[in-house]
This record gives sequence, structure tokens and C-alpha cells, in this order.
Amino acid sequence: MLLSDLLLTATRGITVNKSRSLLTTLGIIIGVGAVVLMVSMGRSFQNYILTQIESVGTNTIDIFPKGFQNVGGNLDSLTLDDYTEVKKLSTVESVAPVIIIPKTVKYGREEASPSVFGTLPQIFSNYGLKISRGRLLETADDTGSKQVAVIGDKAAEDLFGSRDPLGERITIGESSFTVIGLLEKQGSALLSQLDNMVFVPFTTAKIATGQKHLSYMTLKAIGNPQLAKEDITALLRSRHNIKNPENDTDKDDFIARSAEQVTGIVNSVTAGLTIFLSLVAGISLLVGGIGIMNIMLVSVTERTREIGLRKAVGARKQDILLQFLLEAVSLTMFGGAVGILGGLGVGWLLSRIASNVLGDFSFSVSIPSILLAVGMAMGTGLIFGIYPAKRASELSPMEALRYE
Amino acid sequence: MADPSVPLIEIQDLSKSYFNDGVETPVLFHLNLKIHKGEFVAIMGPSGSGKSTLMQILGFLDAHTNGEYIFQGEPTQALDDDALARIRATRVSFVFQAFNLLPRTTVLQNVMLPLIYHPTIPSGERQKRAERAIELVGLTPRTDYLSSQLSGGQKQRVAIARALVTNPDVIFADEPTGNLDSASGVAVMQALKKLNDDGHTIILVTHELGTAQHAKRIIRIKDGHVESDTSDFTRLNTESAHNLK
Ligand SMILES: Nc1ncnc2c1ncn2[C@@H]1O[C@H](COP(=O)(O)OP(=O)(O)OP(=O)(O)O)[C@@H](O)[C@H]1O
Ligand SMILES: [Mg+2]
Repeated sequence: MLLSDLLLTATRGITVNKSRSLLTTLGIIIGVGAVVLMVSMGRSFQNYILTQIESVGTNTIDIFPKGFQNVGGNLDSLTLDDYTEVKKLSTVESVAPVIIIPKTVKYGREEASPSVFGTLPQIFSNYGLKISRGRLLETADDTGSKQVAVIGDKAAEDLFGSRDPLGERITIGESSFTVIGLLEKQGSALLSQLDNMVFVPFTTAKIATGQKHLSYMTLKAIGNPQLAKEDITALLRSRHNIKNPENDTDKDDFIARSAEQVTGIVNSVTAGLTIFLSLVAGISLLVGGIGIMNIMLVSVTERTREIGLRKAVGARKQDILLQFLLEAVSLTMFGGAVGILGGLGVGWLLSRIASNVLGDFSFSVSIPSILLAVGMAMGTGLIFGIYPAKRASELSPMEALRYE
Repeated sequence: MADPSVPLIEIQDLSKSYFNDGVETPVLFHLNLKIHKGEFVAIMGPSGSGKSTLMQILGFLDAHTNGEYIFQGEPTQALDDDALARIRATRVSFVFQAFNLLPRTTVLQNVMLPLIYHPTIPSGERQKRAERAIELVGLTPRTDYLSSQLSGGQKQRVAIARALVTNPDVIFADEPTGNLDSASGVAVMQALKKLNDDGHTIILVTHELGTAQHAKRIIRIKDGHVESDTSDFTRLNTESAHNLK
């Protein structure tokens, strides 16, 4: 049998059995496409979230009074003295106390409700906030308890629309502040709440609210954030007279939370997501595989007879095997290629949409999962395409022709 | 080419049993036969007597269980798969009672099928040969029809064209007219007769005495044994007249 005959015979085998070929290919396309799409999207999403967290800084630690998170908890357990003592710890730096002013902000007749933070300049580096125009808060603003404010992009837009906020006066509660700086817009939706903020000097806020306790404080760990957290916890327990040798955080009247912890949570959540998506993809792969199997097995009778006939007119075992190998390989390769391209294409499209909504969302491809999916789908196609053919080719022509 | 005194086909003490799930069905018992080049042999016998089984063994489509099959002076016992494939491709052809054409495939492609497995016929000659074979069975106007678009008799003639396209030494035809009306049956038999006149050896199975009388020799099989083997047609006719009573 000539090579050209082999190619022609295999091509005819594919085109003559159009629906079988189409369904087989479709099974492979769906299986491979689903795996490629799901796993890639899961990974892209995970990357996206982790990048966002890292841009804030994984060594940032926030300390809240218990009531900040737990309803009924104490809201005024953190004091200015706590701040002074925490600042002295050797494992922390860049400590910024925060007093939140729960007031609306007005500019002329415009009104908005950003979060208003009375704080120290350290907070900007802790949260990765950068100045776009004007200047950030400085220590002198605090010591002089100046009536100045640095505002986020969203707050600026809500209050000023397209006008230039620099030098304008806004009213927070009853006091009036001059806008001295405008922050850069955050790149992603995840951090967009940082855009809707107004920062004023800590002392100014303390005077304006008359508040003695801190809303919360933020700082950076030097070295291992876990060690810093332990130091802070030990210090605050002793200062607040909490005996807690069993280290049960429920007994504390504060919460120390590091970005690293958040990263861990996010990691396990997205890993869960990836597992879920992989499961869905695996099921699609299975369904595709069973589809392929079914179609191949349904056509075994007809194809066994065909093999019997071919052998009856002189085909050798190898002629049969090569024909079926070639048919199965071209179907599965084609299906696999379309599946990969389709999965990547749809994934790319989805991540374009995602980046419109979420900011810089980049598409990340998982090569091992593609290889696995392609391997499994093509394996199914090849095994169920070739194995029955191999068995049939070992029968005598009459046994194959009699097959039913 | 070969010594004319050597039979084309010779079987010695040949037996065949089918085995299904360990159950043995003995079908042919210790058969001895010689068939020479150029013969036109009809095999007759009651249904289930083993005619098709014998034909399939002689046509290299199935293996026998015991005894010897000597083809053109060569014992076939030790032949491997490829050697058997080569004999099927070049020396023998089979016309099946059930046609066995490739579905969704044209008449021309069906007739050309054996040629792609033929080791020596050049690929450039295939179409010409196939068209000549189709012409011989009178189906030239149907060359490009799909096999499903043909009548039963036309399908059988395609099968005959496919059988003769490789110019084999012997053509086996298992009830080639069994599914056909008498007119189509006559056309098929005429095609086979013409092949025999051209020197092909023809071995066919039939139930109809009228069809068998195109042959020059009639072998009767009963219960897996050769009941009679004759070229004497006067005796045959009286015998069948006797049977009718
Ligand atoms: N694959 C098989 N397995 C088991 N027994 C079989 C098989 N094929 C045929 N037989 C048996 O062998 C016997 C002979 O069958 P065969 O087909 O050779 O008969 P036949 O003479 O051609 O009959 P008919 O005239 O009806 O075509 C029958 O009894 C049948 O049941
Ligand atoms: Mg029969």
C-alpha cells in the first residue's frame, strides 16, 4: 500500500463518516478547551489578586480594636499610649495611628462620603499610596495641627468633578480644610476603596473629634511579620492586662492582622477556586472522553466489517493499523489544536473583559494542564480509535465480516 | 504458468469446526477435492450443509481446523498473515451473497478498493482497470453512483467487478444470484460465464439447479461431507427429476 493511498484512505475514512468524525473532534475540542480555559482563568485570577496584595505590601500589619470587626466588641481599646509603646518595638517601623472622622465632606453644594482618616504621613508608604499632584501630609502639618487634606481620586471626582481641587477648601463636619494633594488613582478595582478617601493630620482629627482612643493603627514589620505580630500581641496584652498564656485570640480586645495573612487566605481561596475549576474542567474532559468512546464504540461494528472487507480484498494487518492510526491521530490532533486555541482564545477574551472591569488583569496560561488535557483527550481518541481496529485486524476476514 | 497437471486447489482430509465460547460446532468432515485451472464449479447442497464455510476456507477468508489445503501446489498451512494477504490481493477474489460494498462510497471507489492493496499493479492503471471491470458488468452509467443508490442486482454486479479487477486466478461467488430476481440473476451469471470463457476459474454456490447448469461441474455437499461430484449433466437432471417426486 502506497503512502498516498494510506493518506487518501484515512482522509476518506474521516470524510465518509462525517458525523462520527465531527462528534469525535467535538468531544476532544470540548474536553481540551474546557481544561485550558478553566485552569488558565483560575491561575490568572489568583495571579491578579496576589499582585494586588503585593502592591500594598505583604509586611504591613493593621491593629484594630476588637469591635472594629466583631459586633459588640470594644471600639475604644486602642489608645494613643498603645501607639507610643508599639512604636518603640524593635520589630516595627512606620507606625501610623488613625482616627476616623465619621462625617460627610462638602465642597460648596457638592457632598460626598469618603472615609476621612486623621493620620500620620507614614500611612502613605504602608498602603503604597502615591501623590499625583500637590504634596502628601508632612510631620509639620501634624505638629501644627493644620487644616489641610490629601484626597483620593474618587473623592476628588465626587466633590470637584472636572475642576482642579488643589487649593480649594472643603468642609468636613464643621471644620474647613484646604486640599493640598491629590493621590494617584489605584490601578485595580480590588483597591478602589483607597481612592475614596480623605487624609488629614492626626492631631487635627484628634482635636476635631475629641476622640481619645484610636480607630486603628497601621505599621510595617521589620523582618518577619509573624515575629512583629507576636511582639505587638505580647505588648498589648500586658498593657491591657489580658492574661492569655494559651494564646486564644478570642480573649484579646484587639486584632492584629498582617497582609501576609490575607495573602494566605487569598491563596487558599484561589487555590480552592482553581481546584473547583479544574474539577469542572475534568468533568468536561470526562464527558468529552465518554462521548469519544461512545462514538468510537458505536461505529465499531461498521468499522469491523469494513476491516473484514479490506482484509478480504488483500489488506495486510499493517495497512489496516496505519489507516486507523492516521485517522485517529488526525482527528485528535485537529480536535486538540482547536481545543487549545479555542480555550486560549476565550480565556484571552474573558481576561480582556476582566481587565476592563478590574484593572490590570493579565492572562496566564498553565502549560502542564494543557499538556495533561491534550494527553488525556488524545489518549482517549487514539485508544478508542485504534484498539478496536487492532482487534479487528487480528480476526480472519470472515470473522470480521460476521461481526455484529 | 504452473504445471497444468497440478490442481489449482487441492484439499486433503480437510475439517472445520467453529468455536464459540468453547462450544465446538463441527461443520466440515474430512473433505477431499481437486479443482483445476479454468473450471467452472457449482457447489450445491441443503441449507446449513457447510457450503459457505467451505468456500470461505478455499477463498482464504477463514482458517480450517484440520487437514491440508494446497493452493497452486503450495501447502498453505505455514503461511503467515502477510503471505495470506498477498494471496487474497493477487490470486483469489470473493463475491459475497451479502455484497459487502463500502457504504457511502462510489461504484468506482468500491471497484478500485482491491487495487490499493495490490502489490504490483501500478497506481496509474487503477482507474482504467476499474472502469473496464465496470464496463464488463454493464454498469458504466452508474460509475459515480454511491453504493446505496444501486439496486440489489447492480450491487452484486459491482461486487463482481470488484472481484475481477485484480485479474485473479480464481473467483469465488457465494450465492451471487440468491438475492436477485431471475433477470438480474441471468445477467450476473452471464458475467461470470464470460469470465470463465476468458480463462478464469469460477467456483460458485447456488441453490438453483438452473443456475448450477451454467457450471461444468457440480459438487453436492450434505452435512459437511461431499455427497456427489459430477460433470455428467444427464444424470444430474434425472436425479433432480427424481428428487421432485
Ligand atoms: N460462525 C459460526 N459459528 C458457529 N457455527 C457456524 C458459524 N457459521 C456457520 N455455522 C454453522 O455451520 C453450518 C454450515 O453453515 P454454512 O453457512 O457453511 O452453511 P451453508 O451451506 O452455506 O448454508 P446456506 O445454504 O443456508 O447458506 C451451519 O449449521 C451453521 O450453523
Ligand atoms: Mg451459505
